Amino acid sequence: MTRVENVKERKPSPLSRFMPDEMAKRDGAGAERTYVGEVVESSTTELIAEARELHGGPSFGEFIRIEADLPVLGIIFNVFTHSIEPNRRPTAYGKTEEELRLEQPQIFELLRTEFQALIIGYLDGGAPVQILPPQPARIHSFVHLCTDEEVRAFTGNDDYLRRILNTSKVPTDELLIAVLRHTLRAHKHSRDYLVRMGKELSRLMGDDYDRLSSVIRRVAN
Amino acid sequence: MVVDERRVQEDFRAKLELALAEYRRWEPEWQTLATKINKSRTSWLLPGMADGLGGGVERPERPAEISIAATDGSQIFPDRHEVSSCFLINIGYILLHYGTGEKPLMSSKPTLYYREEEIFEEWGGRRMFVNRDLVGFKRSLMEFTELADLALAAKAEGHPVVALSDGTLILWNLEGKPQDFKESYLQTTLEAMDSLRDARIPVAGYISQPGSQELINALKLGLCPLEVADCDRCPWQAENQLGFNEDEIGAIQDDLWRGHGLPCSPLEGLNDAVLVSHVLSPGQRTPLYLSTSKILNEYGSHRIYYFYLDVGAEIGRVEIPEWVATDPELLELVHACMCDQADKGQGYPVALAEAHERAVVRGADRDTFYRFLRDTFVKNNIQTSISTKSFKKRYVGI
Repeated sequence: MTRVENVKERKPSPLSRFMPDEMAKRDGAGAERTYVGEVVESSTTELIAEARELHGGPSFGEFIRIEADLPVLGIIFNVFTHSIEPNRRPTAYGKTEEELRLEQPQIFELLRTEFQALIIGYLDGGAPVQILPPQPARIHSFVHLCTDEEVRAFTGNDDYLRRILNTSKVPTDELLIAVLRHTLRAHKHSRDYLVRMGKELSRLMGDDYDRLSSVIRRVAN
Repeated sequence: MVVDERRVQEDFRAKLELALAEYRRWEPEWQTLATKINKSRTSWLLPGMADGLGGGVERPERPAEISIAATDGSQIFPDRHEVSSCFLINIGYILLHYGTGEKPLMSSKPTLYYREEEIFEEWGGRRMFVNRDLVGFKRSLMEFTELADLALAAKAEGHPVVALSDGTLILWNLEGKPQDFKESYLQTTLEAMDSLRDARIPVAGYISQPGSQELINALKLGLCPLEVADCDRCPWQAENQLGFNEDEIGAIQDDLWRGHGLPCSPLEGLNDAVLVSHVLSPGQRTPLYLSTSKILNEYGSHRIYYFYLDVGAEIGRVEIPEWVATDPELLELVHACMCDQADKGQGYPVALAEAHERAVVRGADRDTFYRFLRDTFVKNNIQTSISTKSFKKRYVGI
């Protein structure tokens, strides 16, 4: 979108001496990498990552994979954008984003998007395991979006749904619906998958018919 | 106290009204005043008048695509009570591109000075420890040379650029420094100026809340009844009244006793910004004035002109070198960009404000720096010591 990103030359530019180290690196070798974020806080059950681009976080409910010997898998349950300076708050300008990018370009350098993920399993030798990983993802490791294939492989069975329902962090049903809409798409809206999922959900929340039907209705439409 | 305060305020209003009346009086006859300025010798700084005294110049339109370069500096001063007498200078760099959507450059680079030859310098035949004063000079010099380099690099990448410097471009504080020191600092500054001029990059210094009184001084000179004023021989000063006859002294004393003071006294205590704020409307600038600071005699082709600018929130003073002042295109560009920058920064140029944010080293940063230094010294088995005073400050016993 911006001119800087379109520059393909390898030779250091006259301005590179003034660039922060991260920016100089990003414009060079890091440019081909496909990660969406970098882990900045990590625990066994959840993590926070900084998005590579402002407003460039994954979507709510999306599956992510974190680079490691045993790659960790998670689902996004919160994405947020905030000021990077503790004592400076964004204020209203009354301008569109396009106008701001042209005339107040500095503000986008002072904002950062971060996302939080719930850990739901890991890959062992490439095979998905629906158990929390033995070690948390490391700080500064890169976060990738899972491909449809990876999502299909992980959702070969539905044990992970219980993990979502048991979390107290978020409006559980909303997260569940968002996740299932992603998995359904990854399964190409297959009827078999939809039926299997419906059965699993009725096992998990069969005691609350209204809740179950609300979830299924919202996943399927 | 209230009565006194009211009197002070009334007094100030009266002075201001007088100043404005004088300003209007001289406006059409500015050349007469300019001639008097050139002939007179005063104890205060007078403005050189290039194109008139008053009248606002309207804000020109900013080009749709323009880049603004700015730098600012901050430091950790050397502290002889600390583990090391090193010091640090941090420069903040800002390059904002308008109208293109390009990603701006906002960064800072610290430089640590710790070697023997870095913390001792020899000037005027005296070897001295680099103290706060010298670090301050070093920092402002670096701010300017780095600004020039940043602007030149931006230009080399094809950006049309204006360079903004925080504060004055007049190095008046070099006066009274050892000659070799003064020459060395001036030469580096002027070389940076040369490179900006050769690349045709306008540079401007912005002074917020200026306290300068050059215009007021010109009006004071206008009040002086003498055709050519010479403050050293001011006949209203008692020490200069030798040889006057009694009648003459009586007349002068009469005047003084009536509370008028010196003929130029009624305007004492005002500054240019107060005066100009009643003359300009937002976006307008005053005509150009030439600074007559003594140090500028050594500036060659970079002599400094200035104008006052109503940025809306305040009156700012903008200083520019001669080659910007005499190039209408560059002058308009500076005027337009300054107004636009102040608009964007709610009264203060946004590029300078961001440069400050990048540069600033706060007290907490300083503490972290020294703690890190101490820890690293200890980890590497380097013997360290801090002064007893510093130690005592931290661990006070009872």
